[in-house]
Amino acid sequence: MQPCSREMQAMNSLLNPTQQIPLQDLQINGNSHHHQQIHVPSSSQFQYPTPTSTTHHDDSFLEQILSSTTSFPWSDETGPPKPEDNNNAGFNYDEMVLASKLRQHQINGGAAGNPFSAMKMMLMMQQQQQQQQMMLAGRPTVASSAAGGGITTNHQGGEGSMQALYNVFGDGSLHGTMQAKSFVGANSATEMTQSQGSRPTAGEAVTAPEKPKQRVRARRGQATDPHSIAERLRRVRIAERMKALQELVPNANKTDKASMLDEIIDYVKFLQLQVKVLSMSRLGGAAAVAPLVSEGGGDCIQTSANGGSHPRNSNGDQTPSANDRLTMTEHQVAKLMEEDMGSAMQYLQGKGLCLMPISLATAISTATSRSRNPMINHENPTNGSHLLIQSSGGDGPSSPSMSVLTVQSATMGNGGLEGGAASVSKP
Amino acid sequence: MMNTPQQVKNPSSSLKSRFITRFLGALTKITAEDPISSSSPTRIFQRYRRIKVASNKSMAYSVRSRRIWSRAMLSRFRSRRSAFSGRRSSVKTTNCTTSPPPALIKVTINEKKTAKGGLDMQTDELRELVPGGEAMDVCNLLDETAHYIKCLTTQVQVMRKIVDFYHLSK
Repeated sequence: MQPCSREMQAMNSLLNPTQQIPLQDLQINGNSHHHQQIHVPSSSQFQYPTPTSTTHHDDSFLEQILSSTTSFPWSDETGPPKPEDNNNAGFNYDEMVLASKLRQHQINGGAAGNPFSAMKMMLMMQQQQQQQQMMLAGRPTVASSAAGGGITTNHQGGEGSMQALYNVFGDGSLHGTMQAKSFVGANSATEMTQSQGSRPTAGEAVTAPEKPKQRVRARRGQATDPHSIAERLRRVRIAERMKALQELVPNANKTDKASMLDEIIDYVKFLQLQVKVLSMSRLGGAAAVAPLVSEGGGDCIQTSANGGSHPRNSNGDQTPSANDRLTMTEHQVAKLMEEDMGSAMQYLQGKGLCLMPISLATAISTATSRSRNPMINHENPTNGSHLLIQSSGGDGPSSPSMSVLTVQSATMGNGGLEGGAASVSKP
Repeated sequence: MMNTPQQVKNPSSSLKSRFITRFLGALTKITAEDPISSSSPTRIFQRYRRIKVASNKSMAYSVRSRRIWSRAMLSRFRSRRSAFSGRRSSVKTTNCTTSPPPALIKVTINEKKTAKGGLDMQTDELRELVPGGEAMDVCNLLDETAHYIKCLTTQVQVMRKIVDFYHLSK
């Protein structure tokens, strides 16, 4: 008896915040219950002696009620406290709810030991308090979820309430709470693993409710490592860009990345060179174009056909020499042609040029160009040196190998060629 | 006789039309300043350079700052201009538009690097070609290259048509 009373006193002091429950409940239940409650305790027997006197009905009644509520958890050590065990029928409502909750919890987890059941009672009472407060505030759904979830499924809520109970109990009964907590933690861990179906980590009962670690094996071809994922993304993007480039660059049927890059590089160089060449020929007035082009044209076309070679044209500096060079070339070719066509061809090929009749040259140029190029100028050869730069592919620049230079030169015509003029074209 | 407007897809504001407008404006300015008939070779050469620069610049301006390469090109022009005007700018003038002769250096590097990681060498070369390519990763570099190629082809197309036009009207 006496230890119980001591316990009761200790619990009394600790339970002070929770003692409001029965009072509120008394008020909620209404007057009818109140009367019953008043009358019943007077006639019932008290299992435990109360610290206060039991003679007074009005003042001591509340104290009796409070003390009996505190004595309630310790009245039963074995099973759930039944309502009839409680002498104070005034707390029927509370006890019924608590008993059901305790039963529920015990069904789920299984209570063991006094402190554990005490813990659970505290838990339930706290949640009851919360529930009632919330109901008072007018949010029944939340309250029910909090009450129901707090015990069984809401692990975090349980955790929070566990921690709150920690604070309530202090250091005295820590080991008991630890047991309870670990037990609840294990419960939650098993529940979570059952619900999620992944392998739980063993022995992590305490931290399990917070963050269940799931070690999922990486499927083949799907690395979970963020670095490899980033790497794969990068590769995919690069492949996309390469494909886009393939469409832009002609002759892009290479499957090899390296050769594709080579092709791209050559094409960019070629385009930049074309801009240079065109800007040279694009020098404003029409009258100046022809001589200018003729001067630098030979060099330009020669170099443009080589693709990425460095253009050796400083046009202005080499004007006289270029002009001379071209006419020299022509004279040379004419001379060679008198002797032997083969040597003339060889000479031209050494220079990177080839000789072909104009008709063939025009045929080639028209075949490769998109027929938008009206530049096929078949003027009479008596006009003097007449140089036409004609790049095939009117819509877009073609590959470097298709530049054609047609020369209609009276000098060449006199040089021994019969009939029409010859055309010097790049192979 | 200009048939260029017919080929413009969106006459209002396509890249091509913007470039054409700008470039023709620059051309007329250059031809107005420099009468062709009385040009010495050096003048002709300067004109060629000016026209080339005008072409590249008009293209870069047509693209504005939407692309890394155009931004790099424009900053290069501005820094060069400030350098020409005599002001000592702290901005480093990057390589000029004419390709310097690092071909010799490239050959040795090629010989060294052909075995391992061959793609690095080519990406480096691409970086040199595309303006502003030094500070780009491979992914962006390829993207910029694609757009640069598209713009270059437009440039060449327009310029060629202008040449043809001049030849025709001769």
